[in-house]
Amino acid sequence: MMIDALLSYLNQEDVIRTLVDTGSMILFFIGFFGLLTQRHIIKIFMSVSVMEVAVFLFFIGNLFHVGFTAPILGDGHDAFVSMNDPIPHAMILTAIVIGMAVFALGVSFAIEYYKLTGRTDINDISEMGER
Amino acid sequence: MTGLIVLFTFIAVILVAFMSIVQKSLPDAIILFMGVGLGAVVLFFVFQAPDVALTEAVIGAGISALIFLMALKHLGEER
Amino acid sequence: MNFKRDIPTRTYSGFALSTLFILTIFNILLETGVTKTQRAGDALLALNGKEGVANAVTSVVVYFRGFDTLGEIAVLFIAALGIGLMLHGNTRSTHEESNYILQKASRLLFPMIMLFGVYVMVYGHLSPGGGFQGGVIIASGILLLLISNETFEIPHAVISALETFAGISYVLIGLIGLLVLDKFLGNFLPNDMAQMGRLFSGGIIPVIYIVVGIKVGSEMGMIVQNLIKRSDDD
Repeated sequence: MMIDALLSYLNQEDVIRTLVDTGSMILFFIGFFGLLTQRHIIKIFMSVSVMEVAVFLFFIGNLFHVGFTAPILGDGHDAFVSMNDPIPHAMILTAIVIGMAVFALGVSFAIEYYKLTGRTDINDISEMGER
Repeated sequence: MTGLIVLFTFIAVILVAFMSIVQKSLPDAIILFMGVGLGAVVLFFVFQAPDVALTEAVIGAGISALIFLMALKHLGEER
Repeated sequence: MNFKRDIPTRTYSGFALSTLFILTIFNILLETGVTKTQRAGDALLALNGKEGVANAVTSVVVYFRGFDTLGEIAVLFIAALGIGLMLHGNTRSTHEESNYILQKASRLLFPMIMLFGVYVMVYGHLSPGGGFQGGVIIASGILLLLISNETFEIPHAVISALETFAGISYVLIGLIGLLVLDKFLGNFLPNDMAQMGRLFSGGIIPVIYIVVGIKVGSEMGMIVQNLIKRSDDD
């Protein structure tokens, strides 16, 4: 009896939206914390990637209505009514692919820098202080 | 039922992300990062977005982490 | 100023982060309450019933916002170009043999992965999938073969030719649409509403997505091959 009340409370749209907002903001700030305090350069790239995942979750979780279904005609669905929005799906698809491409480019920069000077610690990378 | 799945998966994703960032050894951090991608796939599936879930599964938990591991081999830290 | 990262930085960043975080949570909790506004996707879903295919996300990516996909392909191309220019070195001369399990298992798995990738790419307009997903699946199949077999290498001319052909034909299809219908990337192949749900439906949408899949697959294969093969350590 209490389980049913809890489940039906959690299925409201208000509650799901608050959950998604809070959770993705916590994930974003975990990634931000990693960006500020980590020293190895590959870990910094990984923290930026975690921040991107948080933004995607925020985007798609906030445009989700509880009873609607995926925007694809399949077995049982014959018309495009009561379906989710297809425009944010298309934008997030593009964003995921571009995030991966930029990330691969950054990693190859880090490899070449390591081969040139042998440092991966971001304290030693700045060459402005050397004489 | 969707609210319960969302709640538990968010808690799992946040814990795994925090563990991945404070790890000391890099290959462990990358494998935990794949766990973040897996949690994101489950969440996208619950939000009724199958195209985005497929893309995140293939790219985020597949190619991205593999590029990391290959880069680690060049940096000489594959313990 | 000295931007070193030692232990005291963690306390400063901890303070700043917790302040920002608490402010964000306040901001979110103060505007709960769902108001049902009119979404931009409703008009597109109604239009999809007249000119699109069964998968609404595919028709948005390829047909209604096809120019953005062209820009995304350009960004991928620039990233692959940058990786190819940065990593220098000869191909490795000495290799260890890979594991016995890996060799035998990859010989069994590789055709399945390729078949699955081509299926996801070709049926992108009828079920979830499409060019990007199928292309990256094919690239991961190539990666499996690269790490299990140390003498395997796709010749550079073949990958270059595939990628060039795919990139050129995307723009050519757009230009033919401009000639025939006065609209860049217009739909000039027959698309009836009665065919929705079959394989040959939707005009140029499956053709463009297959072209995108070939380009993405060969580009990711080239990136992966550069990262594995090009190194000059002994």
